[in-house]
Amino acid sequence: MLHGRLAQTLSFEMWAEKYRPKTLDDMVNQKEIVERLKSFAKSRNVPHCIFAGPPGTGKTTAALCLARDFYGDVYREHIMELNASDERGIDVVRETVKTFARVRSVGEIPFRIMILDEADNMTSDAQQALRRTMERYTETCRFILCANYSGKIIEPIQSRCAPFRFMFLPREEQDKYLKCIAEKENVKLLKDGLEAIFEVCSGDLRKAINNLQAAASLNKPVDSKVVYSIAGRANPADVRKMIEVAMKGDFLEARKQLREMIQKYGVAGSDIIRQIHTEIFRAEIPEPWKIKLADVVGEIDYRLVEGADEEVQLSALLARLVEAGNDLGKTS
Amino acid sequence: MYAAWTVKHKPKSLAEVVGNKEAIQKFVDWIKSWDKGVPKQRAVFLYGPPGIGKTVSVEAVGNDYRLEFIEKNASDYRTEDAVRRFAGLASQYRSLFGGKRIILFDELDGLTGTADKGGVAAITDIVKNAQCPIVLIANNAYDPRFTSLRNYCLLIEFKKPAASEVLKHLNRICTHEDIQADENALKFIAQRSEGDVRSAVNDLQALAQGKKKLTYEDVSWLSYRDRQNTIFNVLRMIIYGRTCVGAKQAMDMVDVDVDMLFEWLYENVPAHLTDPSDLATAMNSLSMADVYRGRIRSTQNWSLTRYVIDYMTAGVAMARKNTKSSGWIPFKFPTRIQMLSRSKAERNMRLSIGRKIKRKCHMSAVRASKEVIPYLKIIFKNNEEMAAGTAKWLDLDAEMIEYLAGTSDKADAINKLLVAKS
Repeated sequence: MLHGRLAQTLSFEMWAEKYRPKTLDDMVNQKEIVERLKSFAKSRNVPHCIFAGPPGTGKTTAALCLARDFYGDVYREHIMELNASDERGIDVVRETVKTFARVRSVGEIPFRIMILDEADNMTSDAQQALRRTMERYTETCRFILCANYSGKIIEPIQSRCAPFRFMFLPREEQDKYLKCIAEKENVKLLKDGLEAIFEVCSGDLRKAINNLQAAASLNKPVDSKVVYSIAGRANPADVRKMIEVAMKGDFLEARKQLREMIQKYGVAGSDIIRQIHTEIFRAEIPEPWKIKLADVVGEIDYRLVEGADEEVQLSALLARLVEAGNDLGKTS
Repeated sequence: MYAAWTVKHKPKSLAEVVGNKEAIQKFVDWIKSWDKGVPKQRAVFLYGPPGIGKTVSVEAVGNDYRLEFIEKNASDYRTEDAVRRFAGLASQYRSLFGGKRIILFDELDGLTGTADKGGVAAITDIVKNAQCPIVLIANNAYDPRFTSLRNYCLLIEFKKPAASEVLKHLNRICTHEDIQADENALKFIAQRSEGDVRSAVNDLQALAQGKKKLTYEDVSWLSYRDRQNTIFNVLRMIIYGRTCVGAKQAMDMVDVDVDMLFEWLYENVPAHLTDPSDLATAMNSLSMADVYRGRIRSTQNWSLTRYVIDYMTAGVAMARKNTKSSGWIPFKFPTRIQMLSRSKAERNMRLSIGRKIKRKCHMSAVRASKEVIPYLKIIFKNNEEMAAGTAKWLDLDAEMIEYLAGTSDKADAINKLLVAKS
């Protein structure tokens, strides 16, 4: 009895991986993009591509599916995945990328595929180096760059790539996915639980699946209460929350959260400031204020580039947000 | 012209001395006893905490009774030879100019072992054979060095005067200086000084000089003087400075590393500048100071340090526009550096788990650390089976499992499931 149960727990693939589509046919969302990629697969050729869009919308999955459709199950031998967040410097491009790109593929397809994930985190030096490499080795290697913001990719690279915009999954599609997983994993997923997951993850499918799995680990029906408690515990490094705290006037608490993000979770200052920049335009503040704050963000961003201390610079920005929040409170 | 108020308003006669009436009376009685010949104890030993009027009382007695003082204090050399030359001469002759003569050894605590070699022994000898009154002053008469000396002295303890007596003194100074002072403001200074009249007068001067009025708001920010940690005074001078020069001078007060002082300011400025726009200005100044630190690092041009200092001292001082004083706010030790080393181990652990996730989940280790680990933690805390399976799949080691599980009990249970399998 004990033995049988243990055999079951042997190697438990995380659901986000387990239910990742394997081929382009499996991909049910991002329909237009998938159709175009399928036509590449059919013609056995693909240009350099940029997959741009928010996290958890299927960029990496699409790249992997495309590779599988090209090379079959041994696709891993023909591709390389590099993650720019971990290896963002110019040396990686000069060595790893170049070495991979110039070797001709053995097999019926004459090129290999390089997937550069989180490419918007590459330094601009590295991007400059990449631009030549892409051109010189086009015959032997095609690049797929995945990025949240295509704007962070330098123009010369953008002009060499076919652009694809990935959108957040619509509500029905995310629901369908999660319901399907819940059924296969024997999880009781209640309707309000499903709603809560959408509200918390808003179209980020990976986050949604992770949330579902963590909720399921509690071994009880997944309702909204469970989902919210999971989400609350799983988002310690939440930039939006930090901004809210600052705008409400609690500078010390906001600075504490910032410090945790940097020190504990190793989030790069440049990532935080970029998120703050995005959040400002989403936040519920009067329109004229948004551009004022963007100016402040830009100034601090520049100081960061000059090599100053990340926490000191970002907390100066938080102090500005406190000030802005206070002024808003007075006028409204 | 600048004159220290502690000197300018020093009591000229016993009537003006703050507190310690009994001790002073005892001292006066002993002086008078010399009129009837050499008493049994030829020296008095006045002791007590700093700034409560020991030296001032002696000088006042001298004025009132027209005594002539010959003084040696810590600024003079006090080796055996030096003491004998000075005191030996003086004690032999009872009266040179007709008046009575008193020898005063002030700041005895300051006798150092090497530079003032044999000094205590020499003083002891002189006391034994003295022909004129000898006055010894120290903070602590019970220092072991004074054991033998004490036997030949009349010990008189000076105590901290009550706040009300300090207050009277401060009031008198304000009258002389033509300053209208809030009773509460002076009371605050008096209480804060904990009986140290000298520091109270110094504080009063620092706060009130050049003003016509002194309000409670002007003084309420003062915190209890910490003699060990002059860094507090520096911080106060900067955060509550009124002029750029004053704030900048704070740097000269204490030998503190610029980067360390920066951390102190970075930690403490938010609590002391609570008005949002003041805070934003001050934090921006610190941000600019930090930018200059970055420039120094990249150019190795250390002369730029002066701009770092400008921003972190004068820049912070000038930020105060709207913040109201809200009483005493303690200064806190900078926590950032401590936390950095503490969280470094955790960050490394998270990254190595992140790398394991990266191998399986097509995402960067940094991102995995941020986005997946929180969910793993929940799973590892709640579901041992799922945890064991996931650990197996990700190829996590025992340490990683323990980190994710949070407690060693949970980790043990998960490990047991893992081991049983293989």
